[in-house]
Amino acid sequence: MMSTKVLGLGPSLRKPAFAPRLVRNQVVARNLVVKRSVQTQSLPSTAAVEILDKQRLRRPSSPHFTIYQPQLTWLGSIANRATGGALSALLYGFSIAYLVAPGTFDSTHVIEFVAGLPDVVKYAGKALLAAPFTFHAFNGLRHLSWDLGKFLSLKAAYATGYVVIGASAVSTVALTLYGN
Amino acid sequence: MSSSLLLRNTLHRAVARRSVLRSASAVQARYASDSYQATYVPGGPVYKGTVNDPTTFPPPSRVHGSYHWAFERLLSAGLVPLTVAAFVTSPSTYPVLDGILGVSLVMHSHIGFDSMIVDYLHPRKFPVLGPTATWALRTATVATLVGVYQFNTNDIGLTELIAKVWTA
Repeated sequence: MMSTKVLGLGPSLRKPAFAPRLVRNQVVARNLVVKRSVQTQSLPSTAAVEILDKQRLRRPSSPHFTIYQPQLTWLGSIANRATGGALSALLYGFSIAYLVAPGTFDSTHVIEFVAGLPDVVKYAGKALLAAPFTFHAFNGLRHLSWDLGKFLSLKAAYATGYVVIGASAVSTVALTLYGN
Repeated sequence: MSSSLLLRNTLHRAVARRSVLRSASAVQARYASDSYQATYVPGGPVYKGTVNDPTTFPPPSRVHGSYHWAFERLLSAGLVPLTVAAFVTSPSTYPVLDGILGVSLVMHSHIGFDSMIVDYLHPRKFPVLGPTATWALRTATVATLVGVYQFNTNDIGLTELIAKVWTA
């Protein structure tokens, strides 16, 4: 504490610390009182990084993804990725299923199975397949137009985004009703 | 706080002077040995191998860079007329078109999945899961290509299946 230096108390504080006046009672008391023993562990200096890493893994991080305001820009982007991923997973799944079990997944069985479903399920299924496909297709065109350098301003991004959503909705309806 | 003052004031003056006068060359010589994991630069040694290392960059290569990008865009653009043509024409008359569409779709899906792995499971942060996912994707793509080929050859083909299911 700085106050001890200012007030000139340094030497007087030092003296008892380095030359304690022992009294017989104090010695006895000190031996009777159980000293708290500290367990120490000898670690190499490389353990410092490990301890730091472990502590860093436990630290919390402030909310980022959960608090970002929903916007057409990033919602459209993740929707493009999600729709593409879902359709591709369907393609991969069906192809690998056909490879593994061609008897159960060949076209006759699949067409029979779909034909036997109730109409409501058929409509719902078509809408569920057409919506991601059309959105991904139109948003893909939007992406390609950006790659050509067009529609790169914020206003244009929003305008094209709404066009894509509108076109997807219209074509989903058209595709769902087609073939009935 | 008073304990630190105690220690500071009672430190032997000669010891203090000796530590300050330790030469810079001696410090450098200590750090210059190969076994030491840090390089000495003025201001302090730079340690390698901690989490504070700057990220490494992949070696520049056109194949993985601009050519990959251009191929991806050309493939995506080509899928549009390909899909339209495949569904407008009758699949049984142009099986080759069906085959090209199938292969292009699988390649497009593979590139898409690969970018998802690079974005969410980068090997830098996921040293085991990242490469595992990459190789699992490659295996799945090969299996899908074989499955698509088998389906197009031994069965009616992708476009006809979708057309028939849609109107079932």
